Amino acid sequence: MVHRHGAKAHRFGIWTAIALVLLLATGSAAAEKSWEQILAEARGQTVDWFMWGGSPAVNAYVNGYVAPRVKELYGIELRQGPVKDIAEVVGKLVIEKQAGKHTGGHVDLMWINGENFRTCKRNGLLFGPFARRLPNQRFVDWDRPSVANDFGEPVEGLESPWGSAQVVMIYDQARVTDPPRSIGSLLEWIRRNPGRFAYPAPPDFTGSVFVRHVFYHLNGDIGRWQGGYSRDDLQAAADRTYQTLRELAPSLWRGGKTYPESPVRMNALFADGEIDFAFSYHQAEASRNILDGLFPDTVRTYVFDEGTIANTHFVAIPFNADASTGAMVVANFLLSPEAQLKKADPDVWGDFPAIDPGRLPAEWQARFAARPRGPATLTDGELQARQLPEPPSEILIHLEKGWERHVLKGR
Amino acid sequence: MKRSGRFSAAATILAAVGLPFATLGLWSLADRWFFPGLLPQSWGLRAWSYILTSAGGQVVNALWQSVAVAAVTAAAAVLVALPAARALGLYEFRGKDPLSVLLTLPIIVPPLSVAMGLHLWFIRMGLAETFIGVVAVHLTFCLPYAVFVLWGVFANYNPDFESQARSLGASRPAVWLRVMLPMIMPGIVVAGLFAFLLSWSQYLSTLIIGGGRLITLPVLLFALMGSGDRPVAAAVSLVFVMPAFVALLFSARHLGGRSLAGVR
Repeated sequence: MVHRHGAKAHRFGIWTAIALVLLLATGSAAAEKSWEQILAEARGQTVDWFMWGGSPAVNAYVNGYVAPRVKELYGIELRQGPVKDIAEVVGKLVIEKQAGKHTGGHVDLMWINGENFRTCKRNGLLFGPFARRLPNQRFVDWDRPSVANDFGEPVEGLESPWGSAQVVMIYDQARVTDPPRSIGSLLEWIRRNPGRFAYPAPPDFTGSVFVRHVFYHLNGDIGRWQGGYSRDDLQAAADRTYQTLRELAPSLWRGGKTYPESPVRMNALFADGEIDFAFSYHQAEASRNILDGLFPDTVRTYVFDEGTIANTHFVAIPFNADASTGAMVVANFLLSPEAQLKKADPDVWGDFPAIDPGRLPAEWQARFAARPRGPATLTDGELQARQLPEPPSEILIHLEKGWERHVLKGR
Repeated sequence: MKRSGRFSAAATILAAVGLPFATLGLWSLADRWFFPGLLPQSWGLRAWSYILTSAGGQVVNALWQSVAVAAVTAAAAVLVALPAARALGLYEFRGKDPLSVLLTLPIIVPPLSVAMGLHLWFIRMGLAETFIGVVAVHLTFCLPYAVFVLWGVFANYNPDFESQARSLGASRPAVWLRVMLPMIMPGIVVAGLFAFLLSWSQYLSTLIIGGGRLITLPVLLFALMGSGDRPVAAAVSLVFVMPAFVALLFSARHLGGRSLAGVR
């Protein structure tokens, strides 16, 4: 009796062990495909990469450089899907998830960050985590707050960095000789020179980053706003911001009765001499605009002494991507020193590296240091020494909504 | 006196239609053009070289996709609208008024909601990301216009001509082809043109239903139009408008005063 029971237990044990081994084997094979396996699987895939398509420079970099290179190196067909706003694609993914389309999606890679990333992450629309499995992620400094967190939302390997952006002030040294070097002195300058400054109306992204600078300026200790603040703290700090912006409005372009609807419009006003400053969330946009003949040659940029807001932009893979391995290979190529250096060339795009040049081999470090920068662009050192993190999306949305109610409608 | 009056009228029309295009042409060839200058300070082909070389392959593909989608949509819209408009124009029946409201609904409801709502169904029916699916979603926006244009034509149409032809021994198909069709041809051209142009400019619905598979000209170019790079935006606008303009010219000979008589 005891014996038979023992035999049964024994047999049961064997089957469990076999099942466990099988489970572990298949499980680890799925989760831990080697990079060589991924490369082999990706060969011959077509990767559809959806992104904002409003910049000829970015489009030319993607279609004229990245696509032929990944074809040549990895046998991947890369197709760009240019859109007006990547949120349209995120909306499409939400519907596909609802409709139960869990495989065979035609969006393989998306260029996103911030609120779109948050929407994707919260709704389970992303494949991964995959970012830490890319060999080239060793060049990324994941300890930098602006890389580990995307607008206060932990990245957790669900997207791979592509580039970084930082706000710079733009002025024409032929017109303004001594630009105000802090947010406080800029506000003062605006009051003394009525009608000569404008910012795009939030929720435009560039306009809303101006509001966040004022928010930081009025409410001290920036670290506090990364998290761990109370609802009341935020409300009080936001109210102070609206108060200041309301009082500033009569000194703005057209008395603050109307705002430029986009940075493009602000740049046009600046180029036409109607206002004396523009600002950009792109370190090299001014140089680019000089090259393209949109700005005069005498335009320069600077950052505030206390710093300007910076963030990282990423690529992510949707949950139902048809070519997820191909998309990983493309994401890895985007992080390569070769691709990052090409992207940083102001004649190409001038986007700043997502990788930390200090982590590269000496030869590549030298090439990054020696890259042509464009007449109006600051050095990496000047920029990186003065960076402020973005607050969480929650604060961003709060300020955008509040601005409309309390500043635009003036209550 | 009369001649000079006609001449100045023609000149005014030409200026009103032509000037915006002239500005687009100038901008597309400008290298630098700052505020006080009436003409660009320097000229260049940067915008056109971007459109024709860097993005050339994409533009040509998208052009064909757009032509194919718009042509099929226009043909389908006319085919579907014809019997509907004939019934609405020639017969009185109960529920005609509510029906006409129902027909305009796809135009009144925001296109985003229509496209998003249909997307869910199209995925289930396997129509998402197919050519047919994109034509079908364009039809929801084009059909109301086609029906209303042809409805107006049939409201002024005298079916007695058909009876006459029948009494003289013409077969039913012969009556359609040789009596009805010639009489309503201008209306068909206008309805087809409307449908073609509407389909031509669809952005959001093409993007949502077509996904990555169908990249038409608007999908490819609309992002660039708002980009603020004025020379590129101008060149892109011209590339986008030209084929539609050609379609308009092509049908212009059917658009004389007489032809529009039936259109309300």
